[in-house]
Amino acid sequence: MQETTSTTAPSQPSRRGRLLRRLRDHQPGADRLAAGGSLRGLLLRRLRDGIIVLLLVVTVIFFLAHVVGNPALVFAPVDATDEHIAEIHRQFGLDRPVAERYWEYLVGLAQLDFGESTWQQRPAIDAVTEALPATIYLTVVGLGAAAVLGVIPGIVAGARARKPFDKASNLLSVTALSVPNFWLGLLLILLFGVQLGWLPTSGRFETASIVMPAATLGIVHGGRIFQLVRSATYEEMSKPYVTVARSKGLTEWDILRRHVVRNTGVTTATIVGWEYVRMWGGAVFAIEYVFAWPGVGLLTIDAAHRQDFFVLQASVIIAGAFVIFSNLLIDLGYQFIDRRITAS
Amino acid sequence: MSGMPLLEVEDLHVTFNTASGPVHAVDGVSFTMAPGASLGVVGESGSGKSVTARALLRLFAITDDARISGSVHFDGADLLRIDERRLRHVRGGQIGMIFQDPLTSLNPLMTVGEQIAESLRLHRGMGRSEAASEAVELLGRVGIADPERRATELPNSFSGGMRQRVMISLAIACRPRLLIADEPTTALDVTVQAEILLLLDELRRSEDMALMLITHDFGVVAATCEDVQVMYAGKLVEKASMAHLFDRANHPYTEGLLRLVPRFEDAHAGRLHPIPGQPPITGGGGSSCAFAPRCAHAFDRCRDEVPPEVAVGPQHLSACWLAAERAKDGTEAGRPWKRAQ
Repeated sequence: MQETTSTTAPSQPSRRGRLLRRLRDHQPGADRLAAGGSLRGLLLRRLRDGIIVLLLVVTVIFFLAHVVGNPALVFAPVDATDEHIAEIHRQFGLDRPVAERYWEYLVGLAQLDFGESTWQQRPAIDAVTEALPATIYLTVVGLGAAAVLGVIPGIVAGARARKPFDKASNLLSVTALSVPNFWLGLLLILLFGVQLGWLPTSGRFETASIVMPAATLGIVHGGRIFQLVRSATYEEMSKPYVTVARSKGLTEWDILRRHVVRNTGVTTATIVGWEYVRMWGGAVFAIEYVFAWPGVGLLTIDAAHRQDFFVLQASVIIAGAFVIFSNLLIDLGYQFIDRRITAS
Repeated sequence: MSGMPLLEVEDLHVTFNTASGPVHAVDGVSFTMAPGASLGVVGESGSGKSVTARALLRLFAITDDARISGSVHFDGADLLRIDERRLRHVRGGQIGMIFQDPLTSLNPLMTVGEQIAESLRLHRGMGRSEAASEAVELLGRVGIADPERRATELPNSFSGGMRQRVMISLAIACRPRLLIADEPTTALDVTVQAEILLLLDELRRSEDMALMLITHDFGVVAATCEDVQVMYAGKLVEKASMAHLFDRANHPYTEGLLRLVPRFEDAHAGRLHPIPGQPPITGGGGSSCAFAPRCAHAFDRCRDEVPPEVAVGPQHLSACWLAAERAKDGTEAGRPWKRAQ
């Protein structure tokens, strides 16, 4: 045992390896075992944590917006006098102390009142909920594409490390994840929209509109999923129980299917879940902007341009809530994958 | 050894292609085993004993990038040349294997019953329920209490010793004719070690299967094996019957290993004699005795030529330039009781 690993495994305890190990340490399963809690306890704990995080998000976005921007300037004509601007301030209540407005905002939020949009002249929450389904649709399809592109080739490459398929797919995935997402989007538009004219380039007017933005998300995030799944599979394949499975006379395919994939399942779910959260954290904004996809990302950027605090805040908070909710779903998903977790 | 041998290994070489160049882990190993025999393979870490065992079944991952040459005749067929499908039939079906670390040798997400049943269904063509009840039976045979319930549990609810019992039941599930145990007791407590060795010995006798036991511990071999061979740097340096070897160890390396077995009567004297130096990382390929740099008796010839295996007694071989001389005069470790004087 000892000697084979020392003489034959030129494996790299690389950065990726460390990341994977961290990933594993972060396994909520382990956390749960240590806490020894029940499913309900876990849900309550997660809910509490979620509320704390949301409160932080609200606070940061509120003060950031109010320190950086001033919506009065957007509404005032170019030649507006100071009095004129002060009048607009009064109109929006911007003349009152920030702390007071912050408290008022929190009280409003507690009643699910996200404030009034200065730009659209309607409740901010309406603007966000109207845009939300488009973003959910885009990210879910994008994640599906990323999972297909990342997980299956990742498993195969990891099981056949350093073979031609591994080398080729590895090169592709590194390229995919290194390319800036908006640039890749523009490239796709140029190729499939402008040159070939196969696909619509912007908006959401037909079914095929989803293809390019979702493909962009799928390629970029699939590249990263591939890397992590490949590493996890490679590491799993070098574990003694795999050699035991081989010594039983199983085929490599059965070893992969019955033993390895089951054991990397939790890691894979974590990786895919994280990528979903990452999409919300960034890619979705750039991609929606590039493809003029009418979702929360585009709305947020527009709101920022127009200094529409309440819409900006509402979309960031809703996005944050969505991320927290997705994390919770991932956690619950473990229950069904890893029996050890429920065993406690 | 008489009659048809069960296993006949000839000139086995294993080379790994690693990032830092090829590593010649096994360098021309030949030996035979009769049906029902018990053979201990002893050597330090890196001597190539585990690699030898794995090479018999070509048990390397694709990523190991191992090259194996020579021949391994088992029951008439050359395991190095038969196709994958027939080889898989031998693996688990004809040759069972147990590994060093029982804590990592079992799939953590599969019940132990399922893991045993997997083998039974594969090699003995059993159905799901038949395999499940046979698995329970096997768990009982290796001394696991309440096997019916235990079969449905995951490995993490078993202690190290119990997991090794599970591994043994898995390895013998299909009544193999040869059981290879690769350091089966190294990771276990001493008391558990003894139980496991006893179990292996009993099973060998009752199942009429041959046992190849790989270890670095002469004590383990002495308890379980009739024959023993010592490996160093990918080569066999000495072979003999166990009783014979304890009396007349010939090779200086064997002698060094025997001196390392702690003896109760020596404990108060603080008398342990480590072999100076380290084993070479890359075995074989050289034009000298690999042990020469660490050998107290080495002379010029040892550094210029590889010593051949020389018969120094009945079924006793030693690969040392001084073998004949040492056989005549006897060695210090060959007479351990002398050391006390």
